[in-house]
Amino acid sequence: MSKNAPTTLGSNPTKLQPALSVEDLEVVYTVRGVDRAVLRGVSFSVAPGEAYGLVGESGCGKSTTAYAALRYLPSNGKIVGGHVRVGGRDLTEMTDDELQQFRAHEASMVYQDPSQALNPTLRVGKQIIESFTLLGHDNATAATMAVEALKKVRIADPTRVMDRYPFQLSGGMQQRVVIAMALACNPTLLVLDEPTTGLDATVEAEVLDLVRVLRQESDAAVLLIAHNLGIIRGLCDRVGVMYAGRIVEEGPSAQVFDDPRHPYTVGLLRSLPRHGVRKTERALATIPGILPLIGSDLPTCVYVDRCPIATDLCRTTMPPVVPVGNKGDRFTLCHHPDQIAAIEEPAVSVNISVLAPSDENPGVLELSHVSKTFKQRNLSIPALVDVELDLAVGETLGIVGESGSGKSTLAKAILGIEAADSGGSVSLDGRVVMASTVGRTADDKRSMQMIFQNPDSALNRSWSVRHILTRSVEKLTNIKGDAANQRVEQLAEHLRLTPRHLDLKPRQLSGGLKQRVAIARAFAGDPRIVVCDEPTSALDVSVQAAILNLLADLQTEQKTSYVFITHDMGVVRYLADRIAVMYLGRIQEIGPTDDVFNGPNHPYTEALLSAIPSVDGEIVTRIRLEGEIPSPANPPSGCVFHPRCPRVIPGVCEVTEPPLREVSPGHAMRCHIPVAELIELQRKPSK
Amino acid sequence: MKRFILKRVASMVVTLWLLSTIVFMVVNVLPGNVARKVLGGQALEEDVIRLNARLGTDKPLLEQYWTSIRRIFTLSFGDSYKSQVPVSDIIFPALGRSAKLALLAFIITIPLSIAAGIYAARRQDKPIDRAIVTVGLSTSAIPEFVTATVLLVVFAVKLNLGKVYANPPDGVGLFGQLEYLLLPALAMSIAYFGYIARMTRAGVIGALHADFTRTAVMKGLSQGQVMRRHVLRNAMAPTIVVISTSVGYLIGGIVGVEKVFNYAGLGQTMLDAVNKSDIPVLQGAVLLVGIIYMVSTLLADLFIAYLNPRVRLEKSR
Amino acid sequence: MSATQPTTSGLSERKQARRENWRLIVRRPAFIVGVAIVLFWVICALFPDFIAPHHPLDYRTGKHLPPGWGHLFGTDSTGRDVLSRVVAGARDVLRIAPAAAILGVFFGVILGLLQGYLGGWVDLLASRIVEAFLSLPVVLVGLLAITTLGRSNVVVIGVVAVLFTPIVARTVRAAVLAERELDYVTSAKLRGESKAFIMFREILPNVSGPIIVELTVRMGYAVFTVATLSFLGAGPPPPSPDWGVQVSDTYNNLIADFWWPTFFPAMAIASLVIAVSLIADSVQSVLEAS
Repeated sequence: MSKNAPTTLGSNPTKLQPALSVEDLEVVYTVRGVDRAVLRGVSFSVAPGEAYGLVGESGCGKSTTAYAALRYLPSNGKIVGGHVRVGGRDLTEMTDDELQQFRAHEASMVYQDPSQALNPTLRVGKQIIESFTLLGHDNATAATMAVEALKKVRIADPTRVMDRYPFQLSGGMQQRVVIAMALACNPTLLVLDEPTTGLDATVEAEVLDLVRVLRQESDAAVLLIAHNLGIIRGLCDRVGVMYAGRIVEEGPSAQVFDDPRHPYTVGLLRSLPRHGVRKTERALATIPGILPLIGSDLPTCVYVDRCPIATDLCRTTMPPVVPVGNKGDRFTLCHHPDQIAAIEEPAVSVNISVLAPSDENPGVLELSHVSKTFKQRNLSIPALVDVELDLAVGETLGIVGESGSGKSTLAKAILGIEAADSGGSVSLDGRVVMASTVGRTADDKRSMQMIFQNPDSALNRSWSVRHILTRSVEKLTNIKGDAANQRVEQLAEHLRLTPRHLDLKPRQLSGGLKQRVAIARAFAGDPRIVVCDEPTSALDVSVQAAILNLLADLQTEQKTSYVFITHDMGVVRYLADRIAVMYLGRIQEIGPTDDVFNGPNHPYTEALLSAIPSVDGEIVTRIRLEGEIPSPANPPSGCVFHPRCPRVIPGVCEVTEPPLREVSPGHAMRCHIPVAELIELQRKPSK
Repeated sequence: MKRFILKRVASMVVTLWLLSTIVFMVVNVLPGNVARKVLGGQALEEDVIRLNARLGTDKPLLEQYWTSIRRIFTLSFGDSYKSQVPVSDIIFPALGRSAKLALLAFIITIPLSIAAGIYAARRQDKPIDRAIVTVGLSTSAIPEFVTATVLLVVFAVKLNLGKVYANPPDGVGLFGQLEYLLLPALAMSIAYFGYIARMTRAGVIGALHADFTRTAVMKGLSQGQVMRRHVLRNAMAPTIVVISTSVGYLIGGIVGVEKVFNYAGLGQTMLDAVNKSDIPVLQGAVLLVGIIYMVSTLLADLFIAYLNPRVRLEKSR
Repeated sequence: MSATQPTTSGLSERKQARRENWRLIVRRPAFIVGVAIVLFWVICALFPDFIAPHHPLDYRTGKHLPPGWGHLFGTDSTGRDVLSRVVAGARDVLRIAPAAAILGVFFGVILGLLQGYLGGWVDLLASRIVEAFLSLPVVLVGLLAITTLGRSNVVVIGVVAVLFTPIVARTVRAAVLAERELDYVTSAKLRGESKAFIMFREILPNVSGPIIVELTVRMGYAVFTVATLSFLGAGPPPPSPDWGVQVSDTYNNLIADFWWPTFFPAMAIASLVIAVSLIADSVQSVLEAS
């Protein structure tokens, strides 16, 4: 393993003694008796008060780095080389007692899943107080300090929250509690591991705002791990891009994201739909190949197998640490940083964009007064309320919304997995179909298929790919025997699956390949409509790009219509022709993609759009939402959004629910505020 | 909470009814003349008729069924076919003796096995853990009567420690009784130990790997504090479930052990009843065991609800 | 901290890993010991004459001869060779216990699939009956049933199988409940598959892990239960060399220091149940780890 670590270059520009300094760190996991390298010489440092972000796709080692920074590794993991210094002291040489004291007084962590991170059997107060008694305070003092700590993380009613159990708090509140505990010791080092993954967009924005404010109040060094590049850009001074257990590029966040100097960083950024790019403009870039397995032998450049500009030099020699610029605050681990500009952008791929059904373009799907009420004991929970939708041939309708918005229920109602309440109707090609899948004709079933969020769950793991596809072809098209086999092979070829893949089981495929199989299955019977439920949210961005490109291509060829459910505004902007925004089971706004992104908007859409952490670094005025998403079981009166609406009109909004009103052709919203006023209120600050 | 208890009690009543129906069906599956079976082939026909009338076994099956259902809820199971004393006079004293034995086994096993389970969990996959797991697995796989026999041979017969019969003579004090009960209790404990230790270990390992334990470690708590305040509190629930449902396990084992040591407990009583076709005694004893089992699981559920705020608070809504 | 994703290039490595897993269990000392002991008893059951020095019912001259060179395990109260009886006694339990376990698992799997997938009143009713069954010690119900139905190997197999059915069903039901929430089931419904197809073709292969574990564990409990039943008097009638029957026949003589006719069959039972549970544990740890 090479030792040419960028310790000097990576040091921070303020020339302070770093709060955290990781030097040539090597970590292995022992799998079946064999040591496999996970970190291959990671070096970076973080100054007091500075925030440093680590980005990279799953398996690159960023989480391992975060945990190793606090010397917390799974039982089969061990540090085999290098040093971790916090405040000048070397963690790798500490005894267990010293480590415990270190964790109590100098370092803290915030975790990915706050609902699991808190002890379910202890009241929240007790858990926070424990963080203070640990520092030597008596119970009464600790209790007072706990109240203060909760106020600091903007919890309005600390004593009430302290009396609660974790499960009685929302995800956002739980994460605030975890943050309050983390700040108890006024740490030198604060590690945040995917702190907002799994939280709703508006809640995520709140938590990130909070972290931003708290950072200014303390001089802790922050190490932030996130797969979302926008979060890193919004929060971190500097960023390190990790690949296969190494930091391949490092520098100030804005510079790295605007002007990447490593081929991997370039690939990562180009696979994101950025700067409002649409599918009509160009395809997304993808990174060919796959991440090397942990423990693979990588004697030269770790990225060489997937690099578009790799040369013989790259295949034989470890790249040096190349400074970028002359400030000494940036470097890249590449032989050819000057060739970066030569990496080609992908060409235009899709030429169609279909708008709402019209006379020339008939609708394929129509929902009229569709509602779905779940009955639970004696409660009735309206998950979907009076939804009106139509979908043109070859159109993509994006559905966005947070948890409880009813977007998944909408998908199930369309497909008949959950039969919609009587009184509404789902029509296919102008003909009303049965509410439940069981009652629908074979042709109805063939016409409407679904692509699921998680391919691991969507594919039967004990069936081979061939079995999965053959069964769907036979069931949906009535083609049997050899003809069916032939069709399966055509289908596979079309989805860029090789014949070899057909005889594998799903677990032998990568996430991206699994999702291709799931897509092939949905397309087995040439469907008219495919409902895509977050089809890329479980995938890494470079894989996501390939899947989005594939979906766009299939649509162009087969004129399939998509109902595309997602929480990712970038993805929906790229792929959708129209967007519907849902909140508490109602469509609050619907319109062509450009109209929805340019405004005027429903105040909820406005808040949702402003909550996106942008990798482009656009300055947006955050619209802060008060309170939490109400339970669908108990929706507010009048406009269901009024309790959280920053633009609420007292005396009106809580009384009557506004109708879905057209503000421009095809663009409608449920809001009492007149359009002209909304336009005025939402005028974008000039750039 | 009240709602939760009511629901549980209601479901217990349904289960009891099902249980008594099953028992009734099993014992009545073969049509036959009960009194003839009891009195034997040589008995006079008029004696047989008289006994059937007294026992109520000449009534239509449906009426007998109704009687047997009524009996569980009143805990009066009629008279023994054999000795013709009320069944409750036979089974309750027997239950008392069995309870003494089971309690002793319980007292010996619970602290030891829980300690061993926690100890093994903290040293997961180390040799001592493998040893505890393998020994626990082996001892809990051996039928109790086998363990009892081996203990009897080794201690009572060869080493002259402990008694061959578990029934203490009348007038023996509490400590004297202990001497008689120690070997049979030990036989039950050996099987029981492995079971509880393994379950405790699994519960503790689950809690040790939970995210909240990671939070506690990262807070900077000492190992002991992490165990006491966070791990054990959460590992308790599965262990309590196991202990409470193991009442059935204990009773199952007690039959063999009581036979080996000739102890006049509920197990022996049931065996006697089986051999003598004394259906009312058998029915009474079986239902009693069922009731004890169900009450103990109910108590366990309540205790778990008390420990787990989620169950406690959600069920009360 | 996700590990690497499985990939096609890692395929051969992954297959090797599974083979490696099996190699690991085959190498486990517990597994080897278990298999060796079970094999020994299987050979005894198949070829008793080959192993046993005498016929199990052959009355020798000396009664209650202590273990020695003439009779390794001594003789019993009627002068029969204990070693020969122990060897011959393997046959019944090795026929009854596996048959009962397999039958119990078979019915348990079907019941568990129906309960877990269909849910609703089917599940509710079955769960209540299962709970009623489980509230009684298995041995007790077995005793009750065998007393009314009469002693025979078929009855023992049937009764033990019936008693195991709800226990297996409970495990399978739990596994099916988790499976039915997965999207491949939704996908099957979307293409119009029947309930039977979804249960037996889609879900069943995916719950095979817990079923195999349950089968090996049930084998152990079947030996346990069958031995206990015959000790309690619900097994084959006395001249039989069945281990449980031997212990039951002779334990009253323990007080007179005639320990060997009881001790050796008891140890035989212990060795077999331990062996089976060692195998079960090895299988379980491998299948649950992967």
